[in-house]
Amino acid sequence: MADLTIALAKGRLQDEAIEFFRRAGIVVPDEARRSRRLLLDDESGRYSFIFVKPADVPVYVEYGVADAGVCGRDVLMESDADVHEPLDLGFGRCRLVVAGKPESEERGYNPLATARVATKFPRITADYFQQRGVPVEVIVLSGSVELAPALGLSEHIVDLVETGRTLRENGLVVIDEITESTARLIVNRASYHLKRDAMARLIANLRTCISEKPGQ
Amino acid sequence: MSITLSKIPPGVQYIFDDEVRVRRFVERQVMETFEGWSYREIILPIFDYADLFALGMGKEQAEMTYRFTGRDGKLLALRPEMTSLVARTVATRFIKRARPIRLSYSGEVFRWDEPRGGRQYEFHQIGLEHIGSDQLEADTEALVIAIEALRRLGLENFTIALGHVDFFNGLAERLELSEDRRREMRTFIDRKQTEQLDRFLEDYTDPENRAALCRLTTLTGKREIIEEARALVSNERSVAALDDLERVCLIAEELGIASHIDIDLGDVGGLDYYTGLTFNIYAQGLGTALGRGGRYDQLLANFGRPEPAVGFSLCLDWLAQLLAPEIIRTAAEYKNEVTRLSGAGDIVSVFKEANRLRADGRKVEIV
Repeated sequence: MADLTIALAKGRLQDEAIEFFRRAGIVVPDEARRSRRLLLDDESGRYSFIFVKPADVPVYVEYGVADAGVCGRDVLMESDADVHEPLDLGFGRCRLVVAGKPESEERGYNPLATARVATKFPRITADYFQQRGVPVEVIVLSGSVELAPALGLSEHIVDLVETGRTLRENGLVVIDEITESTARLIVNRASYHLKRDAMARLIANLRTCISEKPGQ
Repeated sequence: MSITLSKIPPGVQYIFDDEVRVRRFVERQVMETFEGWSYREIILPIFDYADLFALGMGKEQAEMTYRFTGRDGKLLALRPEMTSLVARTVATRFIKRARPIRLSYSGEVFRWDEPRGGRQYEFHQIGLEHIGSDQLEADTEALVIAIEALRRLGLENFTIALGHVDFFNGLAERLELSEDRRREMRTFIDRKQTEQLDRFLEDYTDPENRAALCRLTTLTGKREIIEEARALVSNERSVAALDDLERVCLIAEELGIASHIDIDLGDVGGLDYYTGLTFNIYAQGLGTALGRGGRYDQLLANFGRPEPAVGFSLCLDWLAQLLAPEIIRTAAEYKNEVTRLSGAGDIVSVFKEANRLRADGRKVEIV
């Protein structure tokens, strides 16, 4: 049996995460990308990888089903999972922003009216508006959030932006940046102690592969 | 069946048969261990005045209680934990008793907290409190008892992460942080976010000290890490904390239980409550701590009688979850040893036969 089980987010971060681990000498067989298997070992047999939806990574790690995981800061904040997050891996950089039509930017949030916000991040969205004293109605969508303002479902959205292209093409502008997000290594609190040596090795190993980040 | 009848409120549980057996077994083993160390059991009320819990666990934590109004118009709360009730009892009713006082408890507590990691709104705590001694022997006793109880349950693969709040306090004190900034720093340490901690410290201290702080707060391991820590830290409070940790480790080595203990200098989880040693118990197969404890020398003062104290509690629900497969296997044998009697014949003779079997200690079922 492998020393550690690591949960990786499918989708946006998957290829970069696999590449990052490869640089650290932990090689996930190419089969991972091609096949539909959701659980496989690295070449050394010391690590098992499970591939799950991004939002599920903190869940698997918090429950200890996976000892560690890689997911975006955005997903981690939304989950509010009680885990260690020892490394900012630096890749998958994007911004979590409030966006809306250009005219809504000028108006700002009318603090006396309820803001209607469509998002995949209900917890972060509610926190953000409540902290600013703005009453908020959060509309939870599971994709294509940028459509909401165009169709009149909501005035604003809270969503991830990488290049800003999708926003522009849907006639939206960034109104405020909530946080920047990068991929994080997260670690289960029990595993941190129960598998201390293996975990310390993994963290030290990955740390050496974090490249210099722009602007820091 | 109508929906209103079948729906149960989120976070509560109904427990039946094998699962009950498991819980009773675990409870009995742990309570007998406590009894063996002369801890006397105290049965506490399910609810008490809401203010009491705010005194015990802090206003913020006490927000999580289920509250309702008593007939006298006073606000009551279902107990969210046991220690406040014990502390109040000791401070008001046990004034004249000789110290230390050793007490144990077992029962459900109720918290309006997001159920996660398998914990419900309602869960069962088993714990002990050792009140009136400020000596490290008391802390060590608690630790030794916890280990005995877990071993008695058949658990071998567990680790107690041992920390000390004064290690962090000593370091933080010298940085002269505002309360908000201190909280921020604490979160970074709690989540082991070394880089963020390093950036945060830029405004407060020189690079050398920064590096030392970042290293210190992620230090975990056996006794040798205390030596490493000593080379990096000089303030009195942190050094005294290291002394305590080292002494406990040395004792643990002598007792042959050191393999279950892991020092965690970055444990800042219980800072609002604990005043000395802290411990979090982790076991293979569970993602969260199945028990926690530590020294809480400030609490009794909230109830009008300052006294040192140390204690810990185990979560029965998690222990049961962890141990269920093994215990159920064992219990199955007993369950199968049942003598079935037909109830179709003469009812008096059926019961006579049943009574005879029962007198022999046999298990019967009238079918």
